[in-house]
Amino acid sequence: MKDKHIIEVVDSVAFASLSQIELDEMMIHTRECASCRSAFDAAQLSSLVIKERAQVTIEPSPFFHTKVLAALREQQQAADNVPAFMRLWKSASALVSSMALATIVLGVLTFVAPDPATASVEQTASLDAAEAVIFDQGDEQLTYEQVLSAIYEEGDEAR
Amino acid sequence: MEGWLTRIATNTCLNMLRGSKRRPELTVSDLSDDESGWLDQQPAGEVTQSVENNLVAADLADRLLGTLSPEDQQALLMIDGENASIKEVAEATGWSESKVKVRAFRARKKIRESMEKLLSYKGKRAFEQK
Repeated sequence: MKDKHIIEVVDSVAFASLSQIELDEMMIHTRECASCRSAFDAAQLSSLVIKERAQVTIEPSPFFHTKVLAALREQQQAADNVPAFMRLWKSASALVSSMALATIVLGVLTFVAPDPATASVEQTASLDAAEAVIFDQGDEQLTYEQVLSAIYEEGDEAR
Repeated sequence: MEGWLTRIATNTCLNMLRGSKRRPELTVSDLSDDESGWLDQQPAGEVTQSVENNLVAADLADRLLGTLSPEDQQALLMIDGENASIKEVAEATGWSESKVKVRAFRARKKIRESMEKLLSYKGKRAFEQK
């Protein structure tokens, strides 16, 4: 850094963030370079005044507190003017909606979708009917083919 | 929540700064007697700390910052004044990190050049008085 101009360096980083080693190197350079010396001094003073500016605490206006409270009160009054049912709906709308949705889903499952247990009972009933056909033939002797065809026809219908 | 509030406060401050008039350049004739006297008292590297001097320095900073755009002022005050990192400024303002770096560099350079002019005038005046 001894032979390198420091103007770029002092502009690219905050002066306060420079390490002591960097500052020492800059000081060595500024002993031989007048333009860098003036830039270094100016950067140092600029950093100082900016620091002082940042430390100044800006007080709010004396009416700030009153104004904020008044604004809050107005908002509260506006909220109070909403009807009771609307306020209740705002707080409970999610719960009511989810309950209604659950009821609709249960209704659909109960009345529209077929019950697997009911389907198997119907199939059993149709098989019983096939047996009844066979046994209702009375004393007449049935051939083996007639019995099989009667059973399988009923079975196919049941499916 | 904190980031959201910081962003709102930053934008409000920027809007206020945009509303104020920007000075193109600061000259010695713009300085008050106190500010001019403060500059005369400042040998580089030696800073006299007192409440009054600190206030004068803050006023001088206001004048110097008044020559910058509101965005450049914001970047410089946060980074050099409050020791915020580039990332923190980017988060608070919503700018990219490279934009923050460019703004800070530009602001620092302009402030330094203005201060250099003021100091050179001070040097000339001291030479003339001798």
